Amino acid sequence: MSVPQDLFYEKTHEWLRIDDHTATVGITDFAQNQLSDLTFVELPEVGRVVEAGDEVAVLESVKAASDIYAPIAGEIVAVNSALDDAPEMINNSPYEEGWLFKIKFEKEEDVDNLLSAEEYEDLCEE
Amino acid sequence: MHSRAVQFDEPVSYQRGLELQHRLLKARQADEIPDTVLILQHTPTITLGNRGRDNYLLKTPEEYKTLGIEVFHAERGGDVTYHAPGQWVLYPIIRLGGKGADSHNHLWNLEEIALRTLADFDIEGFRVEGKSGAWTEQGKLAAIGFRLKKWVAFHGMSFNVNLDLSGFQTIVPCGLVGQPVVSMQTILGDACPPMDAVRDRLLANFSEVCKRDLEIFHSNNPPASLL
Repeated sequence: MSVPQDLFYEKTHEWLRIDDHTATVGITDFAQNQLSDLTFVELPEVGRVVEAGDEVAVLESVKAASDIYAPIAGEIVAVNSALDDAPEMINNSPYEEGWLFKIKFEKEEDVDNLLSAEEYEDLCEE
Repeated sequence: MHSRAVQFDEPVSYQRGLELQHRLLKARQADEIPDTVLILQHTPTITLGNRGRDNYLLKTPEEYKTLGIEVFHAERGGDVTYHAPGQWVLYPIIRLGGKGADSHNHLWNLEEIALRTLADFDIEGFRVEGKSGAWTEQGKLAAIGFRLKKWVAFHGMSFNVNLDLSGFQTIVPCGLVGQPVVSMQTILGDACPPMDAVRDRLLANFSEVCKRDLEIFHSNNPPASLL
């Protein structure tokens, strides 16, 4: 299972790449493997203001549907609309091409509530 | 803490099954209860998954009503299927992906439970690449569709034992045209085991495949969270 060290994580298996006050969000390698081949992605509206923990997206594979939650409060400023036609990018490249959406957040301290790569790995370990 | 199974002797309406699942889902997300598996039979019902399309329904709403079949749009993954007495429905409301994370995914585990249960009764079942569920030479025997919310799974699998299969004639099961649906009875005929024996093997195989010890409750004496 791949867990890049430079990202932040949420215990519900989302990752965040923080760049200034924008967080790019996706699901982890572990999560994509659990969901198996994804066939459909429902992404949030750009401009939507979300609280941490809000349901913002739904990922579907042939037999599973999984809800995705905003890992941090802020405004959705971009979504990866390339996934509409190629949801399998989430399986093939969960940390790069398979990103889901970007959130512009206000509170620097919200980042402190996220997990480090080490803490996340610890959570998934058998 | 032991995981729990709750077994129902009388058929349960789909609506009641949904309510139970939603209640258990919330409680499981909040860690108020351990992983819990419901095993039950539904009264005759057709359910469509999230992407399920109405054109897989071959009858009108009035015709379904006349046949005594309820129709539901379910929030699970997967496509259209049919439930009726004589089919076990397994709803594992279990947390995935925490400590001791399942090495295989939930879909694989559910298929494995079906295949092992078939093997217990000398039926050869297999997976079909690109199609989920459990298959036999004669046709599809178990169907799978589930959803995750906060990584707690709900919905699950249906496994045909000795139900009247004519309900499947009123839909295009899983959107697969021309694919026969079978039951254990189709294959074994008079040698088909009783429902209780199959239920016990499904639970035992769940316990083994999902590595969860089960404390078994009956619906007439359920754990407090189900009252």
